[in-house]
Amino acid sequence: MSDPVVSVEGLSIDYVIGAGRFRAVSGVTLSVERGHVVGVVGETGCGKSTLAQAIPRLLPEPPATIGEGRILFQGQDLVQVPLWKMPRIRGTGINMIFQEPLNSLNPAFRIYDQLAEAIYIRRVREKSGAVTDPRAAQAYDYSRSQDPTASEALLRPVVPAGAAARVTRRAVERHGDLKPEVLEYLRLVRINDPETILDLYPHELSGGMRQRVMIAMALSEKPTLLIADEPTSALDVTIQAQVLTLMKELIEEVNTSILFISHDLGVIAETADELGVMYAGKLVEFGPVGELFEHPRHPYTKALLRAAPTRYKSQGPLSSIPGSVPNLSHPPSGCRFHPRCPLMKPNCRIAPGPGLETVRGGAANHTSACFYADAVEALP
Amino acid sequence: MGRSPTDLAIFVGKRLLQLVPVLIGITILTFVFTHLSTINPCAQWYPHADPTTRANCEHLFSQPLSTQYWQYLTNLVHGNWGASVEQVAVYPQIAEGLPATLELVLAALFLMIVIGIPLGVIAAQSSGRWPDHLVRIFYLSGWATPTYLGAVIAAIFVAPYFGLPSHGEYSSLVPPFHQYTHMSVVDALIAGNLPWTLDAIEHLILPAATLAFINMGIATRMTRSSMLEVLPLDYVKSARMKGLSEGWVLYKHALRNSLITTTTVLGVTAGGLLAGTVVVEEVFGWPGIGAYAYTAIGGGGAAPNFDGAIAVVAVFAVGVVVANLIADILYGLLDPRVDWR
Repeated sequence: MSDPVVSVEGLSIDYVIGAGRFRAVSGVTLSVERGHVVGVVGETGCGKSTLAQAIPRLLPEPPATIGEGRILFQGQDLVQVPLWKMPRIRGTGINMIFQEPLNSLNPAFRIYDQLAEAIYIRRVREKSGAVTDPRAAQAYDYSRSQDPTASEALLRPVVPAGAAARVTRRAVERHGDLKPEVLEYLRLVRINDPETILDLYPHELSGGMRQRVMIAMALSEKPTLLIADEPTSALDVTIQAQVLTLMKELIEEVNTSILFISHDLGVIAETADELGVMYAGKLVEFGPVGELFEHPRHPYTKALLRAAPTRYKSQGPLSSIPGSVPNLSHPPSGCRFHPRCPLMKPNCRIAPGPGLETVRGGAANHTSACFYADAVEALP
Repeated sequence: MGRSPTDLAIFVGKRLLQLVPVLIGITILTFVFTHLSTINPCAQWYPHADPTTRANCEHLFSQPLSTQYWQYLTNLVHGNWGASVEQVAVYPQIAEGLPATLELVLAALFLMIVIGIPLGVIAAQSSGRWPDHLVRIFYLSGWATPTYLGAVIAAIFVAPYFGLPSHGEYSSLVPPFHQYTHMSVVDALIAGNLPWTLDAIEHLILPAATLAFINMGIATRMTRSSMLEVLPLDYVKSARMKGLSEGWVLYKHALRNSLITTTTVLGVTAGGLLAGTVVVEEVFGWPGIGAYAYTAIGGGGAAPNFDGAIAVVAVFAVGVVVANLIADILYGLLDPRVDWR
């Protein structure tokens, strides 16, 4: 039953800055099942972006170092893969949508060139047999005037059957050959008249358009795992809604696995299947989104849900969590949430603190790192 | 303002118009300084000449500086660039020497680009580790070397070690032939003679390398610092996430953006390169306007040649302005966000 695309096991990441050393992520265990969307939420600085960037080994090492743990992806431990071999895994294996759409496209290259590069890489890999996509079943009819749906674009074989399958590498490099697919992916992310933006530079597009191009670029490599690191937080609310709707549609249409990093519970509620909650570098609760929202089993999750503004909760002041985020160079001993926790008992202060354990009376994969998980329901 | 060819033409036209005040200023400054440095050069110039020549000379120098400058400017506008004491006209010397100097400077610039910029990329990539330190030692030693010392060391020690020629444009094996452009390599190519071309390139290596070594630091340093600025940016990460190899990411995505700053700085080094030619050409016997400037200011015991010195300084000034203009144009071509204005 369990078929994880990626599983992170006991991952710890340290930053060494000068003489100081702090652990941004400590002992996080998390896995993303095939076809599932896993959300990760937490306050700013809780280590969720570090986690996201550590999986494709994108963190600058140094200052970051992976202390312990494994990242299992397609049968290999990415922690052990030498950095110079990582490019083969990035792109078609793991792809990423970044937080800042304004900065994640190269300002010096045209939109067409940036997208064509991604498609080119995927084609070269597919030709060399480095990528085998079992989903590829039927050829897509290029002559059809109707725009492809997401599933069609992602599922059809990349190299068309028959005579056209004998594309040489030079033919792949030729621009004319990449252009139909570039246009197709731009239409996929609902950009009307994609021809008009091919020759534009990123600064000539709006933020929402740039983020769509980024999404198109990531999808065009047909990644096994897509990591979305706060893909909507830099956008204003109306554009955010559009991009989110688009991502939801794509997620529904395509059997892809997504790790969705956000600090916005509303965004997570709409997109994710499972949700992980991070606090001060640790995963404190993990479980199916619905159950976690209805019956949180960690006091931090409960407090986070209470603090989230919703349109139904218009009366009274917004609540907040008392205290402040701990300094990760000197984290509290034991449970890291104990200084702010309403359920705190003396044993919470003792190292190593609570580990993730399956909660009683919940789903099989619902875990919480709290000694008093059963008492959380009773909290206001 | 936009990025159309018309906008570019207007931009270039405006910048070239700015040359006029620059040139007037430069000629006034050099004129005043050359004429103030020697109170009355007539005795030195005409020690044994007949009294009339000497008297004419003394009369000229007794006039106010403004009158003397006006006279110079009037001659210049009429195409008369003046002459040395020996009545050798300045203009033909400049016209023949400038291409040779240009060849030398362009060769040095070429070396700075193909060696200095990759060194900067390597230094940025390994910042704080030993390749970075090695590169820093290399460019700092170039930067710290005085031009004359570098040139003399290259001519005396490096030349025999590598068996490279250290004097002139061609060896004696190449007979005199008609030079169309006065650029040694280009002329040999026009003559269609491969051995002559190789000979010319051999002669070009050391002076160009010396000039490049001394001025390379700024290109390497700028490339390193702008690469360090660009590398942590999201678009470099997203290029990596596409699955591009590290070399592709560095030399296509990151370098393309950091070159925007490096080009501007390369324009500024034009001044340093041109100034360097004065010593380098003299040491290596390169027949350019740098060596001409050296003799014009009395180097090697020659009689000072004011008109020649002013002309070289003015030509260098034009060179610096044009180099910066080219750098600005390249800047605009490299960065699509820039408007011509």
